[in-house]
Amino acid sequence: MLQYFKLQHTLISRHINEFGLHPVIGQILGILAFIGLSFFLFYKTGFAQYIYVLMAISALLNLSERNRNDFLKTCFNQHDYPKIRLAENMAISLPFIAFLVFNHCYLAAGALAVAGISLAMVNFGFSGGFTIPTPFFKWPHEFTVGFRKTFILHLAAYILAAIGIGVANFNLGIFSLLLVFVVCLSYYSEVEAEYYAWVHRLKPKPFLRHKIKIALIYASLLTLPIAVALCIFQPDKAAIILALQGLGYIYLSMFVLAKYAAFPHPISLPQGIILAVCFAMPPLLLLAIPMFYRQSIRKLQQILA
Amino acid sequence: MIELQNLSKSYAAHKVLDGIKLTLKAGKVHGIVGENGAGKTTLFKCIAGLEAYEGSINSPHQPLKDQLGFLPTDPYFFSKITGREYLQLLCNARQLPQQDFDAKNIFDLPLHQYAATYSTGMKKKLALTAILLLPNEVFILDEPFNGVDIQSNMVITGIIQKLRSLGKTVLISSHIFSTLNDTCDVIYLLKKGQIVRQADRAGFAQLEAEMRAFTIGDRIERLELR
Repeated sequence: MLQYFKLQHTLISRHINEFGLHPVIGQILGILAFIGLSFFLFYKTGFAQYIYVLMAISALLNLSERNRNDFLKTCFNQHDYPKIRLAENMAISLPFIAFLVFNHCYLAAGALAVAGISLAMVNFGFSGGFTIPTPFFKWPHEFTVGFRKTFILHLAAYILAAIGIGVANFNLGIFSLLLVFVVCLSYYSEVEAEYYAWVHRLKPKPFLRHKIKIALIYASLLTLPIAVALCIFQPDKAAIILALQGLGYIYLSMFVLAKYAAFPHPISLPQGIILAVCFAMPPLLLLAIPMFYRQSIRKLQQILA
Repeated sequence: MIELQNLSKSYAAHKVLDGIKLTLKAGKVHGIVGENGAGKTTLFKCIAGLEAYEGSINSPHQPLKDQLGFLPTDPYFFSKITGREYLQLLCNARQLPQQDFDAKNIFDLPLHQYAATYSTGMKKKLALTAILLLPNEVFILDEPFNGVDIQSNMVITGIIQKLRSLGKTVLISSHIFSTLNDTCDVIYLLKKGQIVRQADRAGFAQLEAEMRAFTIGDRIERLELR
């Protein structure tokens, strides 16, 4: 069992290494970033505890993936397997629980602890013929795959939006809108095999235009119902809602470009830093977008020439 | 006719392909055999434009990639994409109109299920179905018979023969010599990144015998099986 966790540590270190950082520095930075972002989140919004629980559960769900757990079951005996799963889930949830307790969110902390323990006993995955339907059948790619992996988050966002509208809490409504946008951005964090870009009968520029167009149309399908509902119920705040909707589109376009600026590799550390800085200072988008665009064209030239 | 002139490819100091000269003719099926690591897949990826290389590839089809159906050894599928969506994705990529996938589902694949849950052979058949839906002139099939059941094996052999009769250019690799025997007009032996031997249909039996003698040698005796 110890060997397994040593191996996991080695794998994480390799990921950090590939990111261009020494593993020790990466781990320290990771811990500092977690603490910093946690303080920032709790300082910035009253819904931090909900976001926190959602983030932790999302990570736990990844560990509960059926193929992964089937593999673990074949490797370990029936005594070690549940211990490993429980230890993994606790390793993920404990930092979140600690911060929730620190902020006196005892109910959320308790709920997360229960989720951590129960999800250690569950495998998620549909081994039968069931397929989660999506509205993205015409251009099935990032949104189809991403939506199926994150539909629980969309469901949560829509419930939060409904609550926000019901209790006339504008911030909660806006939070749900932004949550959907952030989830959509995450669809572009995964890099596809080169084959999927290569097969396009398009040159780099039209290819990127096509990718951005699809991203915007499909993001609209997911975000517009919330944005429109918020505008209807809080018409005096329509300008803010539309501005955030527009900003969401711009960030989404930037993520598409950033993905192909690194293609076929994942987004590099410097590119990741640029993305993060753009979130903190939106005017920098004016510099970042053309830069990512030029890099994307260069990267795609070889494959789509 | 596609001509490969002095095609070379290196990864750092390791030369994977070394001055390959090859002519791929329309209406012919060309086979490539060689040990694991001989450079077959790298050669295919160079022709497809997925790898940079030295030398030249001259093709009447420009750009070649837009008329090339490439079946990789191990086709990649997203974890949450159905067979039907995979076909749709590739047809969209080539800007083809909507097609009746059910009618063209000749391998009776469960298109409504996630492709990642398919068996090895089913994945291969799905990827092959996709490239056959596209209007390609050239086909590169890397191990098309890998993991495929005997019935589908026969269907794939029939498909390759049909492609030949339609005047398509076909390049395939296989570790099963008999499948190449049934389909190819010419077979090239790739060894350490070089084409070291070529045989037309009349010479297939001799090529297989030479390969068998060379490959097996005393390896089995060395195991000292009892």
